[in-house]
Amino acid sequence: MSASPMLETPSDHELASAYRAGDERAAAELVRRHAPALGRYLYSSGAVPDEIDDLVQETLFRAFRRLDGWRGEASFRSWVFAIGGNVLRDEFRRRKGRQVLSLEDRDLPDRADPDADLAAAETQEGLRCGIAALPRLQREVFLLRTQQGSGYTEIAAALGTTPGAARVHYHHAVKRLKELVR
Amino acid sequence: MSDCERLSDRMPDVAMQRAAWTTDEAAHLASCAECRAEWDLVLAARRLEASAPTVDPTAIAAAVERRLATDRTAGRRNRWFWAGGAAAAAAAAITLAVTRGPEARPEVAPVVAVETDPLVPLPELEGLETAQLDTLLQTLDGPLAGTSAADSASVDEDADAALEQLLATWEG
Repeated sequence: MSASPMLETPSDHELASAYRAGDERAAAELVRRHAPALGRYLYSSGAVPDEIDDLVQETLFRAFRRLDGWRGEASFRSWVFAIGGNVLRDEFRRRKGRQVLSLEDRDLPDRADPDADLAAAETQEGLRCGIAALPRLQREVFLLRTQQGSGYTEIAAALGTTPGAARVHYHHAVKRLKELVR
Repeated sequence: MSDCERLSDRMPDVAMQRAAWTTDEAAHLASCAECRAEWDLVLAARRLEASAPTVDPTAIAAAVERRLATDRTAGRRNRWFWAGGAAAAAAAAITLAVTRGPEARPEVAPVVAVETDPLVPLPELEGLETAQLDTLLQTLDGPLAGTSAADSASVDEDADAALEQLLATWEG
């Protein structure tokens, strides 16, 4: 990043502007800032764990290629997550609808109540399957709302819909998923 | 907005510990099965996020930077390719036009430059013999072949009168 009088912790906007001006280190900083959350988002959306690194990389690569498309109505993170949704959709299509979720046995911590841990893990995997099976907008609104705490206006800007529609998508998602965690 | 809707709107913030339930909200949550189910779902979604495999942001940043650099290089190469292609096409067209020669060019009406003496209005007459010029003059003095009566010098008075009458009607 340039030595210009930037704040000590530059905002995403400042980093994006610096990258547009040719500062490649600004892109690296944005990647470091958002890649972990993006990975969690893609995992929750149903991505195969072994492929999350590649999907994160592809998402951020696409994001920087079309950085001019980010006008700041939504946060950089929400905007990148929306691109991540596209990348995941392409991955689903590439696999021609085959189940992307890995339902392998997960290593469980050695706890006093292994049955409870197993039940919790199964519930989580069931929830992940349920989220992955949601229509795309429902899935993305639900995750942006529950995992990022984004408001409907922010979500609507990121996903190209209206706040009212985002609210409806959220409630449809909740209605479908409630049964999985009862 | 119902109590359930208000609670639903607050759930993400409370789950992320950016806010806490009020006493009334906590009481509603304890008594409403639907809200409790939604709250459990929100907490489960948070746990799901926490259970995700971690990614190495530094490695990903390096990989993204490499791809962007490659992409920029490819973009420049493509621009040069197309610019070079256009230049080569233009050069080829010019070369072809120059090297094909006049016989291969499409036939167009030749433009002949004729040097003329400004004092001689009809230079082609210069090459004629005196006898030929006399003959030519005689034909010009005589009546023109194929001319109509209207064109001839012997336009009769009847026609003149008719014209004058016509003009008079126009002038009122």
